[in-house]
Amino acid sequence: MSVVAVTRLELRRLFVRPLAWVLAALTLGELAWRFILLLGQFLANQIKLAALPGGPGYTDLVAVPMLSSLLTGGFLPFGLAELALVIVPLLTMSVLAGDRGNGTLPLLFASGLSGSQIVLGKYLAVLLWLILWLLLVLAMPLSVAQGTHLDWGKFAAASWGLLLMLASLAALGVACSAFASHPAIAAAASLMLGLGLTIINLGAQMAGVGNGAINWLALSSHLEPLLRGLVSSVDLIWFALLIALSLMLAIRRVSAERERG
Amino acid sequence: MTMPTAVLSQDLLKLNGLSRHRAGRPAVQDLSLSLKRGQVLGLLGVNGAGKSTTLSMIAGALRPDSGTIELNGADFLEHPQQARQFIGWLPERAPQWPELTVGEHLNAHGRLRGLNGTALRQAREAITERLELSSLQRRLAGVLSQGQRQRLGLACALLHKPALLVLDEPANALDPVQVAALRGLIREQASAGTAVILSTHLLVEVTAVCDRVAILHEGRLHHDAPIAEGDHKSLEQSFFDIAMRGGSNSSIENKPAHPRNHAA
Repeated sequence: MSVVAVTRLELRRLFVRPLAWVLAALTLGELAWRFILLLGQFLANQIKLAALPGGPGYTDLVAVPMLSSLLTGGFLPFGLAELALVIVPLLTMSVLAGDRGNGTLPLLFASGLSGSQIVLGKYLAVLLWLILWLLLVLAMPLSVAQGTHLDWGKFAAASWGLLLMLASLAALGVACSAFASHPAIAAAASLMLGLGLTIINLGAQMAGVGNGAINWLALSSHLEPLLRGLVSSVDLIWFALLIALSLMLAIRRVSAERERG
Repeated sequence: MTMPTAVLSQDLLKLNGLSRHRAGRPAVQDLSLSLKRGQVLGLLGVNGAGKSTTLSMIAGALRPDSGTIELNGADFLEHPQQARQFIGWLPERAPQWPELTVGEHLNAHGRLRGLNGTALRQAREAITERLELSSLQRRLAGVLSQGQRQRLGLACALLHKPALLVLDEPANALDPVQVAALRGLIREQASAGTAVILSTHLLVEVTAVCDRVAILHEGRLHHDAPIAEGDHKSLEQSFFDIAMRGGSNSSIENKPAHPRNHAA
């Protein structure tokens, strides 16, 4: 019940701040543009594609590429995964660092809440906002699904992958906010960590190393199979570990704050 | 509303050997105090005496390094969730979320204290009316004056009708009319059986509303005694003795005062 009270409070704070609305509007506009460009490309090449037996369809060329540039590359505007690397740090930067700045964190402690209740409540609020954002993005490719053949399994796997990525970045952002003295520092740290995790294996890939510890560490190595429709327990465990580790660190930091003052 | 004598005579709060370091120096050292329902304790001390640290520990926002806090007979440090029901805390400078309105603050504090639905609505209406916040319900906390912020903080602390009210410098930034209203409110709470701890560095605040005064200096309790009518001069002398020369523990009385008849 206390976690729900913290989640409600944090959601309220997210929804009354213009930042969340501006970010949502700008990113949805950008993603709508990406969707129209992808759809235009698909329609222009439809006759050629129809001639290819087992060739890529709407799911491979429009619905999944909407979500990430990992599979498309090229000059198209950013996909949801790339935008999330910037959006999530901006959303999470104030969750705990802002409370520390306002002096409101002691108010939560004085309400009898434990560090874990505070962190989980705030994390759930950010996650709910991100799920809403993801659903609005998914509504774009789904809006024309009736008029085409959508591979529901592949689309669900890709959506699940994006949800896990958002949940991981949110946990990382909450952890950075728990450690930072100022929201801007939390945002910068979260952005750098998210980017670092995504591109940590870039050098290894360029050198032709396809596996190894550095590839296992990279977020992109675990997101890409899901975007291709391949759900493996190794990838799911990697995301679960990142979320658990980040939240555990945040909880330890917040609990220590009550001890240390 | 008055409470039965048997209930009033029980210790609501008991601090035993409370100590806490902050920024590498002892902020509170071996502090022992007790407080009964309906009592108003004034915590006096110069800046840095350890008043806010003591109140933060009592409110559950800070854990002591050593010592125990008993609240309503139970170990508060073992059961910090007790704070939710029993304690209302107004921290120094009344921190708030600037992006939330007065009404949203009250809703959030009510839910954090376990109030919901009709109970929350009724509690909110009663406290906004009592503290004259009704016209400010839709105003953002970030644009309130310091006096209004202080009143909002007080409303949040009182919303769930706590048994122990912890007020850290509540008269800061209040005008004389608001100070008088605050004194009236403290007396009213005490009459209803609420124990009140009031931290201040103004002697006049203590003599105006408190039954007892505790003087802290460099984290140690130097004086703990009931206040009688016309005690202002001797209290002032004790305070300056302690503040200027460090004082001694000679004025610590174990016998707690009987609550004043605040209903009068």
